[in-house]
Amino acid sequence: MRSGTQDWSGRLTPVSVATDPQAEEKASINPILRAAGLVREYGAVVAVAGINLSLARGEFLTIVGPNGAGKTSLLGLLAGALRPTRGHVWLRGEVLDFGEVEWRRRIGVLSHQGFLYGHLTAEENLRFYGQLYGLSDVDTAVRGKLEHLGIQEGASSLVRDLSHGMRQRLALARALLHNPDVVLLDEPYTGLDPSAASVLRGVLSDLRDGQRTVVMVTHNLSEGLALATTVAIMNRGRFVWHGDRAELGGDFSQFYHGVIEEQG
Amino acid sequence: MRNYFAQIGAILWKDLRVELRTRERLITMGAFAVLAAILFNYATDRVGVSHEDIAAGLVWMTIVFAGLLGVGRTFHLEAEDGALQGILLSPVPKDAIFLAKALSNFVLLYIVALLVVAVFMLFFGLEVGSSAGMIALVIGLGVLGFVALGTLFSAISTGTRMGETLLPVLVFPLLAPVVIYGTSATSQFLAGRPVTEAEGSIKMLAAFALMALFAGSWLFRFVVED
Repeated sequence: MRSGTQDWSGRLTPVSVATDPQAEEKASINPILRAAGLVREYGAVVAVAGINLSLARGEFLTIVGPNGAGKTSLLGLLAGALRPTRGHVWLRGEVLDFGEVEWRRRIGVLSHQGFLYGHLTAEENLRFYGQLYGLSDVDTAVRGKLEHLGIQEGASSLVRDLSHGMRQRLALARALLHNPDVVLLDEPYTGLDPSAASVLRGVLSDLRDGQRTVVMVTHNLSEGLALATTVAIMNRGRFVWHGDRAELGGDFSQFYHGVIEEQG
Repeated sequence: MRNYFAQIGAILWKDLRVELRTRERLITMGAFAVLAAILFNYATDRVGVSHEDIAAGLVWMTIVFAGLLGVGRTFHLEAEDGALQGILLSPVPKDAIFLAKALSNFVLLYIVALLVVAVFMLFFGLEVGSSAGMIALVIGLGVLGFVALGTLFSAISTGTRMGETLLPVLVFPLLAPVVIYGTSATSQFLAGRPVTEAEGSIKMLAAFALMALFAGSWLFRFVVED
């Protein structure tokens, strides 16, 4: 992986040290989410080709990259949905063990699919997931999330009757219902109109409360950058650039395309 | 352990609630069962063979065929909006997911199986008399074994290109004990024989159901883990 800064002609200027030493030091001392040598192969196809990362509490990592870069597979590995071919993922210092389920309480996943049941109401969906996560007070948690995400009005509507924007907000409520330490977002803006995207942006910005570690995969460069504390560009299963959001400015799109083109 | 059963209950209740709203599987299985019973009524020569002798086998074949229609769709509900992934990402043990899905299949298929018996009683003029409870038990044990196998193989076949065709091919050979011992016990009760004569078949059905549930619970994780 290359960490670096950019010149705004779009060329990558690699540097050999971390762009934010304090953040990297914090992540290396007390990482919430860590991955080492993460590889995922599908037969002859290598989707993730050796990813290392270390994220501290409060970090918001946005991963961008072209189709087929391995972003969704990486997210699947971090979520424990996919078993790595090689390498390990640690959550709060404990390696993810597929035979155990307790660590799943600490992870929330929002995919471009909502994991919702169309024939249940919004409230029933949340209640169902609340029971699966063994929440002590499901009613309070469900009411709180419906209110927080502004979907009380649709609470008793069947999910199939909700708009796409409302469904996405409900999916986010589902992902956050159990108050996870780590939130993984896979293309959360897919299919949303500008108004719904704006609402979602507001909700996602609440995740930057310093308490959660967030990893977001997106094609949407501007939305991705808006919330990130750290940015990674992924191509062909690897992080080809990684740096601190604060050091980015100007035309990231031009820079991004420059990096991808440099990779061939 | 309490949480384990609560998770099973949540998935079971969710499945039944959705089925009550859509009635997709119940109507499909029920309609098939009634139509099959009507056709069997006209397709069998009951002059040379007594009703009791022929009805038990037909009841079980109807239950198996109708059951495949419903059990084959066990995970179709979850395929919608990636909901199975949502459950797999939650802290629910895989065997609890399997048991919940098998139980929801059991409830639905047991209702249909009792309907099948009622329809055959009507068309074939069967009288269960004092054996009604024992027949219900035999049907229950057979259905439990069937849904345990059917749920596991439904998980395997869902998502494959020829899933609906594949399921019967995979399941039928393994269902032979259910059909053999189920037919035997049902036939004896329809003929008014004492419980002791069907005891061996009932024990075999119970053993098969337990074995299928245990194997399904253990193997399910290998089917759904990527």
